[in-house]
Formats: sequence, C-alpha cells, structure tokens
Amino acid sequence: MENLLSILLFNLLINNIVLTRFIGLCSYFGISRNLRNSTMMGLAVTFVATSSSLVTWFVNHYLLTPFGIQYMRIVAFILVIASFVQLVEIIMRKTMPKFYAAFGIYLPLITVNCAILAVNLINFDENYSLAASLVNGLATALGYTIAIVLLAGIRERLSYEDLPRSFRDVPVAFIVAGLLALAFQGFAGIGG
Amino acid sequence: MKILKPVLALTLTCIVWGLILGYVHRITESKIAEAERKEREKMIAEIFPGCSFEEENSIFYCFQNNRLVGKAVEVETKGYGGTMRVLVGINADNTVRGVRVLSHNETRGIGSRATEPSFLSQFENLGKEQLAFKPQGQVEAITGATISSRAILEAVKRALEYG
Amino acid sequence: MAEEKPNLRWEAEKGLLKKNPVFVILLGLCPFLAISKSVEDAIGMTLAFGFVLLGTCLVTSLIRRWVPRDVRIPMFVVIIASFVTITELIVRAYSPTLREHLGIFLPLITVNCIVLGRVEAFSSKRSVLESLADAIGMTAGFGLAIISISFIRELLGTGGIKFFGYSFTIFGQPASGFLLSPGGFLVMGGILALLKKLGVI
Repeated sequence: MENLLSILLFNLLINNIVLTRFIGLCSYFGISRNLRNSTMMGLAVTFVATSSSLVTWFVNHYLLTPFGIQYMRIVAFILVIASFVQLVEIIMRKTMPKFYAAFGIYLPLITVNCAILAVNLINFDENYSLAASLVNGLATALGYTIAIVLLAGIRERLSYEDLPRSFRDVPVAFIVAGLLALAFQGFAGIGG
Repeated sequence: MKILKPVLALTLTCIVWGLILGYVHRITESKIAEAERKEREKMIAEIFPGCSFEEENSIFYCFQNNRLVGKAVEVETKGYGGTMRVLVGINADNTVRGVRVLSHNETRGIGSRATEPSFLSQFENLGKEQLAFKPQGQVEAITGATISSRAILEAVKRALEYG
Repeated sequence: MAEEKPNLRWEAEKGLLKKNPVFVILLGLCPFLAISKSVEDAIGMTLAFGFVLLGTCLVTSLIRRWVPRDVRIPMFVVIIASFVTITELIVRAYSPTLREHLGIFLPLITVNCIVLGRVEAFSSKRSVLESLADAIGMTAGFGLAIISISFIRELLGTGGIKFFGYSFTIFGQPASGFLLSPGGFLVMGGILALLKKLGVI
C-alpha cells in the first residue's frame, strides 16, 4: 500500500524529526555535549522506538479499535514505552552491569523522549500497516540519531574554541542546530 | 508480598483514570462531533454561500431556492506530510465550484502554499478534461511543492469522478 | 501554616524568571520551538500545558503519601497522560482549529519534561498549596517564554500579529525564514545568548 522506501527516506532525512519537526529536543540539547553518550542515546532510542512501534500496532488493532477506545491511545502508548524501558533497564542491570552503571541514568530520559511517543502517535494517525509502522519507527529514530551525533560532534569541537562568553555551551548549540536544520532543508525536494 | 503493593497501586491508578477518561469521553463525544461538523459546514458555506445543505452518504447537496446548485465532497489524499482532507465543491454542470483544504500536514511555507487560496482558486470552473498540470491541462503546480500540488489535483479529480 | 504563606509567593514567582523552566532549566523544548510561530497558538499551548501541569501537580500532591516508590514514575506518567487526554478531548470539543494548530504537540505534553520534572522533584514531596503555587509559576514562566518567542517569530516572519481576530501589520516584507525550523533554532540561540549576557541565566 504505502511505499516503504519513501517512508524510510522521508522520515529519516526530509522530515527529520529533530531538525525539521522539532520533536525530541529536550534530550537533544542535554546529551549532545558528549559524542559517545549521544551515540548510545541514539541507539537506545532506535531500539525503543522500533520495538514500541511493533507493540503499539498490536495494541491499536486488537485493543483500541475493536473496543472503540481510541481516546485511550496516549495512556496506552506511554505505558508501552515505559514498560519497554523498564524491561531494558532490568535486562541491562542483570547482563551488563558495567554498561548499566555508566548509562543507566539515561534510561528514564528515553521514556520521556518526545520522539518515541511521537512516532507511535504518527503510526496511529497515518493508519500505517505493521511493516510501515516498523519502518517509520526505525527511520525516525535513525534520523534522531544522525541529528544528535552530528550536533555532538560539532559541540565537542566547539568546546575547545574561544567563544564569546554569552554564547558558550547552550546558545551556540542552538545556532549550530539552526544551521544543521538549514542544511537539512536541502533535502526538501527529494522524491519529487 | 513486596511486589504486591506497587503493582496494586499502579493497577488501581490505571483503572481509576481509565474510568475517569471514559466518563469525560462520553460527555464530550457529542460536543466534539458537533464542533467538527460546524467547521465543515463553515467551509462548505464559503464555497456555496447562501445555500442550505442536506447530507447523504457524506456528500453535502446544496440547495438554493429549492434548486440543486451543486454538492460538496470531502476527499482524502496523500500529501507530502501525510493525509490531507480536501473539500471540493462541484457545480451542477460537473465543473469545480471551489476547493478548500480542511486539514493537512504540509511543510509550512513550502507545501502549505498549495493549501492557500492563491493556488486553490485556479481550480474554479474547471471541468474534468482540464484537470491536469500544464501544458496538458490548466493547473499550474507550485514550484518546489510538486507533491503537495499533485495531491490536491488528485483530490479534485477524484471528487469529480466519484462525487 | 502562617509561616508558609511567604513561601507560597516565592514558589510561584521562581518559575517566572529565576527558575524559568524553558530558558533556565532548558526543559519543555519540543512544543516550544514548534508552536512558537504564532502568538495565538502560543497562548493556546500555554493554557493546555497549564491545565495539565496544575491538574497533575494537584493530584500527585494529594496522593503523595500513598505512592510506592518503585512504581511512582509509571503512576505519574499515567496521571499525566490522563490529564493530557482530558485536555485533548476538551480542546477538540471547543476549538477544533486549535487542536489542528497544536497538532501532535498536544498529546506530546505527556512527555514534556517540565511536567514530569515538577511532579518528580516537587509536587510528589510537598503540600498541595505549595505544589499549586509551583505549578502556577512554572506555567507562567513557560507562557512568558513561548509567547515572547512567538511574538518575535511571528512579527519578523509574517510582518504582523494575528490575535483573536484582530491583526496589525508592521511591515510588508517579512522574512518567512523565521517561521521555519532553522529560524526557530537561531532565534532561541540568540535569546539565550542575550539572557546569558544580561546575567539572567
């Protein structure tokens, strides 16, 4: 039905969730000070976004729609996401304790990552099939990852520069993000 | 036993709030339907001023002085940013009366220009044969917003065919 | 109880400038940059946000003694999501246009860092009056931030302001780049630098 490739490209680059749609910003500016953390965050977001897209599709089709309780979608989706993150946390704590010690504090941040809830809501609004939902979840989250890794790389370099004091750290991050967003606008014509 | 209290608390919270939401939903349901219907009627009135409507099978038939002036059809189409809902007013002679975009998700400033009167007004009085981009037809797409323009064109074409 | 009265005023006022949730603590950015293209939408967003924040802080403060620590985040999140759903239903019933303008950002209030942040850090530990004061202050701070940014972006981007049916235009050659995403980021960066320079943050 829908063209899966176009969904992939669209949500990854053209309509990048952070730089074009402004979703997922809180963690974006908070974590992008450090490149390694940003990469880990991006991967974690990708995992949770894709898997929650899968689960929420089933929730839509076998729970919300048959019972006509679509208005419960916000509560249902966020419970799915929170549960997933909790699951990841438990697994991480048991199997990779050192990893967990380093990155564990970021896990709650993933629950409130706007991008993940947004993707699930979009899958619902657009009435995507299971395949399309998965592709959308994956593509959107990868778009987030690209955006955050790009910004983090630049910010790390900038931290060695001698910027005017009032621009240091956060203000310049916004300006860089603005320039990245400008660059991504260039994708706007692709695909016709 | 230690697990029981938290699980119980969470389950209770979900049940309580689920019930509250169900209640709020029930009391707002009709108001929501009416508000959305009013929005649609406002749009239709823009295309067919001074008419009275009757709805049948989601098509709005517009009467003026007991004469059928035309009809308004709502069409869904796939735009650049997702689903667009387009309202097409059709004259009795099957030409386009007017086009309005009810909802869209196009990029502001680029694709959204295809939802503005400056683009939509060119559909007025066009017949089925003229519904194509120039030079085959009479419709001029917006530069840089081809997909959005095409989506609207498709919507209007579909409205004339099946409406 | 009497000695807590002056504290209430401080709790409410700190949200406006000193601990402004957006400019100082940098929370709640998502709706902030997306909805700040028009003053009207910004006001609508502030009202919706305020309703959710006030409702949630009130409830969590009331039940704070009965919330088991291990499961508190999911419980808070369900309460927040419920208030957001209620807000969405009310907005759809009384202003479908606002619902359309806010788009996906209305449901996204659920994961707005400000709400969960205040609940976790404050209203789940303090009295009802203090929590409400804090919520009012935070809403005011959020509103101040989003409306002022919208004012700048709408003015520069469209040349005028549209306000509940009244509109006035200043100039006819607007720079519509401000309405797009790069403009939003740049304006925010500029404002933050300015505030930093002025010593506010």
